[in-house]
Amino acid sequence: MIISRPVTITVAGEAHAVPGDITIIQAMWHLGRSMEKNIGCLGGACGACVVVTRLPGQMLPHTGLACQMMVVEGLNVSFLQGDPSKKTIAPLPLESPSRETVFQYYPETRRCVACGACTTACPQGIDVMAGVREMMIGDLAVVAERFTPCVSCGLCAAVCESRVRPHRMGLYARRLAGAFYPKKPLQLLNRIEEIASDKFRAEWEDVMQVAENV
Amino acid sequence: MNAFELSKQRVIDGREARKTAEMPRLSQDEKEALLSRYHPDLKEEAYTTIRIGANKGQKTVHEVVRLLEGESLLATNPPELSPEYQVDVLVIGGGGAGASAALMAEAAGAKVLMSTKLRLGDSNTVMAEGGMQVAISPEDSPVRHFLDTLKGGQMANDRTLLKILVEEGPANAKWLMDLGVMFDREEDGNLSIRSGGGSSLPRLLRCKDYTGLELMRVLKDAVLNEDIQILEFSPVIEFLTDGKGTCTGAVLKDLDTDKLIVVQAKTVILATGGIGRLHIQGFPTSNHYGATGDGLALSYRAGAALKFQDTFQYHPTGSIFPEAMAGLLVTEAIRSVGAQLLNVKGERFVYELETRDAVASAVIRECEEGRGIETPAGRKGVWLDMPLVDVLQGEGTLADHFPNMLRQFSRYDIDITKAPVLIYPTLHYQNGGVKIDVDGESSLKNLFVAGEASGGIHGRNRLMGNSLLDIVVYGRRAGVAAAKRASILNFSPLTLKHLEDFKTQQQAAGVVSETVSPILFPDYVNKG
Repeated sequence: MIISRPVTITVAGEAHAVPGDITIIQAMWHLGRSMEKNIGCLGGACGACVVVTRLPGQMLPHTGLACQMMVVEGLNVSFLQGDPSKKTIAPLPLESPSRETVFQYYPETRRCVACGACTTACPQGIDVMAGVREMMIGDLAVVAERFTPCVSCGLCAAVCESRVRPHRMGLYARRLAGAFYPKKPLQLLNRIEEIASDKFRAEWEDVMQVAENV
Repeated sequence: MNAFELSKQRVIDGREARKTAEMPRLSQDEKEALLSRYHPDLKEEAYTTIRIGANKGQKTVHEVVRLLEGESLLATNPPELSPEYQVDVLVIGGGGAGASAALMAEAAGAKVLMSTKLRLGDSNTVMAEGGMQVAISPEDSPVRHFLDTLKGGQMANDRTLLKILVEEGPANAKWLMDLGVMFDREEDGNLSIRSGGGSSLPRLLRCKDYTGLELMRVLKDAVLNEDIQILEFSPVIEFLTDGKGTCTGAVLKDLDTDKLIVVQAKTVILATGGIGRLHIQGFPTSNHYGATGDGLALSYRAGAALKFQDTFQYHPTGSIFPEAMAGLLVTEAIRSVGAQLLNVKGERFVYELETRDAVASAVIRECEEGRGIETPAGRKGVWLDMPLVDVLQGEGTLADHFPNMLRQFSRYDIDITKAPVLIYPTLHYQNGGVKIDVDGESSLKNLFVAGEASGGIHGRNRLMGNSLLDIVVYGRRAGVAAAKRASILNFSPLTLKHLEDFKTQQQAAGVVSETVSPILFPDYVNKG
């Protein structure tokens, strides 16, 4: 068993010694914080544990998910209050969507000044700004693909000076691209029809009779 | 080179020779022998008898019995039961089952209130990677899906519930797609399918290795679009009943203020998920932070019966190195495309697509018999050789199909396209739960239960991809049924009389509990 060397981290202005081989979330437990907020799946998929960190001598802070980041010497940690951006009520349209459908609910998307802060902030490594620019061109499928790994943590929106909400816009683009996918899933549709017309009845009767007696 | 590195090198060196070698499947006898010797569900000392309640005399693990026999937070200081909210349907839990239920109940015209312990969407659903089983290919059928699941469930599954699950699967996949869920497609527009352990044909719909995340973020967005009131950070700490076997509401606790919130509801849907964070038998877990078996404790105390409460799924491949990733799941889908399991000598020891209970038992056997590899933190496990996937399926397959996995390991400087990783079974799923009927209703009237909190569908071992299906099919069924029931009911009295009954039973059985349940959160303070 190897005991790792402790490191000093700063949380809310106070310095603490913690073991060096643990995540920021595990360090919080180590410091006696039970964590009922800013915590979720512990697997980097829910976006609840967003943090801003800074290392000594670093000018710019770094953003990420606390369950996915190891502590290091001198790390300064501040938790953010989850996704601060507003959710727009954006229903799916009845007709085939276009980029105007997205802009109707997320008009601020067009205010993007291409500073790239969102891309830098994303803990999932998504080129968020590229996704926003692609939305201007209007290819929903491309935008949808771009946002596949998004965990909706909202860091992109939190750092945007133009108040764009890329993660929400991206999810809406995905929902539109999914619901209005150009090609039909014929096998699935056939199967639904087969079940509705009771095609498997005889097979079911045989199987259920046997299954009940096992 | 130390033993750890030496063993790893052996795996890398042996890859070429192993890549196309056949591994024999277990015969039924071999499988039974393996399970009885090594499966944690059959470890007698881990189990004890439940002394009170509907399943009195039956067994389950110590960790769950403590919850079931535990004291209510309201036992000593009952609040005044004047409702702050009066709704048709109260949905408890903000994962995939709760969200599906809430959407259907609202669509049926019910006034819906949703309460969640963490935030809407913070759940096990969001972490599900492998996919969702739906029998769509022409060679496949719902009957075949039924038989595979029954076999996987050790023939214990509730046949009626299971038949509904597989028959409604295709229509539920379409419902999700109409909401905007993007399953992977083939060139011709058909849904792309993949194999899973214990399934006789490829049947898994997926969205790369983000399937659960994709389902959850779409369901969450859909819920937020509707007129559904949501109370986040407000777990349920006790049910309310009419004192005569009917659920009439619940008491929530606002985690910000510690204030209690009384909700009067015509019907209640419980969708609080599973138990991973109880760390049964000391296992690490793949579950989210809130998976503390709240639903089991609450419904049991109010009088509901459980089913298969003694069986748990230990997913064969939980990461054990680095320590910061301990318990985190490595999806089974990676084995369905060719990743192999290897012991310290670099030898395969089980056909990788046996059902989860068998593969997990085989891994435990290797470790107990001295063929495991020890991590620097003292955990034991075996290798999962993922680079083989790229060798077999073509360069870039891992990056294309498992980007999430690739990124998670890369955060700790492990390149899964080059090196094997260490794994050991991780506590993954509660196979059983609250007993339900075809509408999801429990034996406590007007209490509906959906998703992992319920029991019966999966028998004694759930197949990969059947959980995402379960939460949608039965979440929706519960939503529809609860709304329909509520439409013909008036509000009923709110009492805590079931706590008195519970006390009487405790005294009669000589139970003195030191546990207050639900526990709501695991206690990691100073243990992290």
